[in-house]
Amino acid sequence: MLKRIFQSILLCGILSFLVIACVFPVTDFVQKDATSYLVVEADITNDPTTCKVRITNSANRLQSVLMLPVTKATVYVTDEKGVQTFFKEGTVSGTYLPPSGFVGKVGSSYQLYIKTLMGSEYLSDVETMKPVPVIENMISNFEIYDQYIKGDPRRGGWSVYLDFKDNATEGDFYQWNWKHYEKIQICATCTGGGLWNFTKNDCNVLKFPNDQIWNFQCDGNCWDISWNNEINVFSDVLTNGQRIVGRQVARVPFDGYGMYYFRLEQRAITKSVFNYNQSIISSVQSNGSMFDVPAETKFSLNIKSKTNPTERILGVFNVYSADKKIFFIDRSKNIPEGERANISPLIGDVYTCPPGAVGCQERVPCFEGPTRTKITPEGWNL
Amino acid sequence: MAQFFTKGKILFFLLIVLAFSAFSQTTTLPAVYGRVIDAQTGEPLKGAVIALDFKKSGTKTDSLGNYKIHLPYGEYVIKISHVGYNSFRSRVLLKKDELLNVELNDVTKQLEEVIVSSSSTKKDIQTPSLGVTILSLKGIKKLPTMMGEVDVIRSLQTLPGVSSVGEGSNGLNIRGSNVDQNLIYIDDTPIFNPTHMFGLFSVFASDAIRDLELYKGGVPARFGGRSAAVLDIKMIEPNTDHFKMQGGIGLVSNRVMAEIPVIKEKLSVLVAARGSFNDFLFKMVAPDNLKNIRANFMDIATKIYYRPNNKNTISFSNYFSYDYYRVDSLFSLENVVAKRTNFDYGHQNFAVHWNHYFSPKLSMMLSGTTTFYNTKTYAPDTVNTINLLSSIKYNNIHASFDYIPNDKHKLNFGVSGTSYKIMPGRLNEGVASRVSTVIIPDEQSFEAGIYADEEFKVSEKFTFQAGLRYSQYWQIGAGTVNEYASNQMPSLGTITRKINYAPGEVMASYGGFEPRLTMKYSIGKDATVKFGYNRMQQFFQLLSNNTTPLPTSRWKTASAYIKPQKSDFVSLGLFKTFNENVYETSLETYYRDVQNTLDFVSGANLQLNPNIETQLVTGKGKAYGFELMLQKKKGEMTGWISYTYARAFSQMVGDFPEVQSINGGNWFPTNYDKPHTFNAMINMTPTPHHSFSFTFAYNTGRPFSSPSGLYEIGGKRYPVFSERNNDRIRDYHRLDFSWTISNPSMKHVRWEGSWVFTVYNLYGRKNPYSLFFKSTKYGIQPYELSVFASPFVSLTYNFKFL
Repeated sequence: MLKRIFQSILLCGILSFLVIACVFPVTDFVQKDATSYLVVEADITNDPTTCKVRITNSANRLQSVLMLPVTKATVYVTDEKGVQTFFKEGTVSGTYLPPSGFVGKVGSSYQLYIKTLMGSEYLSDVETMKPVPVIENMISNFEIYDQYIKGDPRRGGWSVYLDFKDNATEGDFYQWNWKHYEKIQICATCTGGGLWNFTKNDCNVLKFPNDQIWNFQCDGNCWDISWNNEINVFSDVLTNGQRIVGRQVARVPFDGYGMYYFRLEQRAITKSVFNYNQSIISSVQSNGSMFDVPAETKFSLNIKSKTNPTERILGVFNVYSADKKIFFIDRSKNIPEGERANISPLIGDVYTCPPGAVGCQERVPCFEGPTRTKITPEGWNL
Repeated sequence: MAQFFTKGKILFFLLIVLAFSAFSQTTTLPAVYGRVIDAQTGEPLKGAVIALDFKKSGTKTDSLGNYKIHLPYGEYVIKISHVGYNSFRSRVLLKKDELLNVELNDVTKQLEEVIVSSSSTKKDIQTPSLGVTILSLKGIKKLPTMMGEVDVIRSLQTLPGVSSVGEGSNGLNIRGSNVDQNLIYIDDTPIFNPTHMFGLFSVFASDAIRDLELYKGGVPARFGGRSAAVLDIKMIEPNTDHFKMQGGIGLVSNRVMAEIPVIKEKLSVLVAARGSFNDFLFKMVAPDNLKNIRANFMDIATKIYYRPNNKNTISFSNYFSYDYYRVDSLFSLENVVAKRTNFDYGHQNFAVHWNHYFSPKLSMMLSGTTTFYNTKTYAPDTVNTINLLSSIKYNNIHASFDYIPNDKHKLNFGVSGTSYKIMPGRLNEGVASRVSTVIIPDEQSFEAGIYADEEFKVSEKFTFQAGLRYSQYWQIGAGTVNEYASNQMPSLGTITRKINYAPGEVMASYGGFEPRLTMKYSIGKDATVKFGYNRMQQFFQLLSNNTTPLPTSRWKTASAYIKPQKSDFVSLGLFKTFNENVYETSLETYYRDVQNTLDFVSGANLQLNPNIETQLVTGKGKAYGFELMLQKKKGEMTGWISYTYARAFSQMVGDFPEVQSINGGNWFPTNYDKPHTFNAMINMTPTPHHSFSFTFAYNTGRPFSSPSGLYEIGGKRYPVFSERNNDRIRDYHRLDFSWTISNPSMKHVRWEGSWVFTVYNLYGRKNPYSLFFKSTKYGIQPYELSVFASPFVSLTYNFKFL
């Protein structure tokens, strides 16, 4: 007992030395100030499917989920030859899409213009699309993060590293994003004993709920989509023209033994976007230590108001080219002894129609959305 | 109080009995006797107090400095003290008559050596000094410690007007100053990074410290080079008579100190060392992921003290500190692929002092000091090796004279010259790696100062101390200065010309007078009103935009684009003692105005940037407040309570406000703006073998930037920060306790051990250090970071060999 107490004292001391201090979620936070700003998310890329301009208003509450779209705006980009390409508002309010066939070209320069229905005008800096180097090599290693105990989903996983050759020119900036598609069998789960309402496309809520949980199978192919939560950027300021080896770009969880579909995108971004991402990283990603830099938001970085120069604008005009690589990680191999996958069990029962039930449906459609699709992912061969 | 008088009466009765007993037995009892003289002049000291075994009273010397006390056989601790002199303490084993002649050092020759101990010197009442706090190490050792480490920086934070950004942060904020605005000296050599373990422990080995003076205001003219406060730490002058050793074994570190006389009464050596040995603890009890971590520090202080005669003393002191860490992915360089980073930093300080006493009226001090502070960040990866070095080299020579023509005048004057050589950063110099070699050019500069300080006792009631310092600064080539387009913000794209300077050529120069004034007016015997004014300049600044500076943060001397900081400080104080100096109260109020402070443009890149002026925003600061303190200085129970109201603000707006401004150019509270602070310290010594201490600290939470909403980009949500420091974290409060058992065997032997049991954060409050926000899938989640979120118990064993 005494030894245990002594050890715990020592351990506390050591942990304190390392400034592995305690972090507690705050549940009673009261916002001091509430302000809304115009947000512009504008992407001009070498992939025609990803070019878009989205204009919204920021929410003035941290708990809010509502970002009011700015509709009926005039939006166009002008290239270095003076050619204007108008973006039209699509089916999603506040999102403006280019005419089909439009695609950004490496080496070309673009400037964004926006005029809202209220007459406010905005103009971006001229940004040039930089060439992106190809992803030369991608490897994954099973690594244990042993600050987490066995059973913690963060403990075991595959670290994904890549190699590429930096462009010879100075001042190149890179960003990596990844997407994972997980094929699913269950498309809806209803709690409280309620069943899926195929008219409302939602679960029925019983007047007197019970503990029954019903899972409904998908009526066809369906994939859940997940992606990186953290921003990952890099500057070649210290490695210009070198082959960059072993840059970690992702961490794949050990939540199953099957093949893991992994799509990596490597972007060549502009300096403005690099700076913009750096400010987000220091404000919400690398913070929480004793050495934080002041949390700040970069306003009006490369988009400024023509009508009101003091107006603060959120967002960035992002001109980039991208290279993609699809990669499958075999999660059944190279696992150290004693490490097990953290598989979430299916809670509840799979719903099946009672025998002889007329008009009963038991399979739910796969609804398209940001986190789900029925379109077979590119390169899917499983 | 009633108990106090009761005890006083009992003591008085015992003394009467003792005196009667001594009188009646003079023929049989042995005596300790001798003469007490001034060490410098040889003059006998009348009225020196001879106290025995820690008692409050004893006998006094006569007009020839002689004393004699008859005592029963036994061992006694004898203390001989005189107002204005350093006290003398010794053990005496009385078997027969013992001769004990003592030379006391006159503290007026070294004003900063006055020690406020449990017997008040009435300094606050009798001298014009204002905003000056003197702490004895004995006093500091009474305070409860964190992890058993006696810590100067933490102890100072119990005083009014002294704070830090938070628990475990690096440096001190004194009356609204930034950490780099305070000059920290150890034996006149500057300390650029005062903490080990990134801020957890002071770098000063407590055993080697004699005392320390903190000048929060009223900085004498002999100090220059910083715009706010001065912390002047003096190392022990080793005993020339007999060997002494002391040390301790603690949870964090082990330490030992020895005073070794080489030539009796002439030459002695001090060696004090402290080292942390945590690696084996990591292997024993840390989880697997921490087993690879290395985190160690050490410091060594040595001093050679030579007194060839009564008119000369020469000392050579050295201070060395070293920190080493090996951690995964912490403090790595941005934009470099490296998994594990090693990191070390430390000081190497040397000082030579020669004190010469021409006459009782005139004395001189000559010193030559040097400090070398260096940091190294390295990752010995095979292809992505990094090796980043930075350093500061400081050299100083200083001549100071004290002239005391009569009782009314005291004059201190002198000259000093300082050279700075900064190596801001050398990455991979001569190292084969895929990571580039980047060398930021070295910077050289020179600072000269001439000063005089006169203390004039106009009357019994009115004394003033007026000083004037002139500081001149030159930035010296070789170097390059960029010239930028006149109507555009300085950036790489707006450089119009590069001006090259040859070695030795002046690249920029600044200078100015720094008047210093303090005045004292006595109201009656026990109260004074004081006024102070300072102007101070600072040519050497720390560039850091972190909450608390990293040891690798870059220092920068003034240049064509970075003007020296200039601070004007006024203060007013009221001091009163009660009950024959048992109680002392003070009220001090101040206002400080600072010009040319630095902050940084949004997303500033400070590391390895050769054009640092493109990242800076110049502004100004102001701080004001008042400090109220009540001390009980004598008795079994001593301590203090204090309340401080303090504010500190910055205003940052450059020539191009759209980019070079913070908070739209409006005033905003600094990271260390904590309006209300309450501190209390109580020490109880019921017996010579036991003492108990409590400290309590409360302060308003420090500011942080609170978001005004959220926005969504790329499917992810981020908080919107519209203003800096527009909200405050929760208030801070903490109670600490310590119990010291001195010499538990109660035997009077040369080896004396003691145990210190400490509980830090007794009631385990989760005090926040910061409040920060993370983006989650579901929105924005606020979190609090707490450094010591539970009670922390420690036990330390200390020993003395006298």
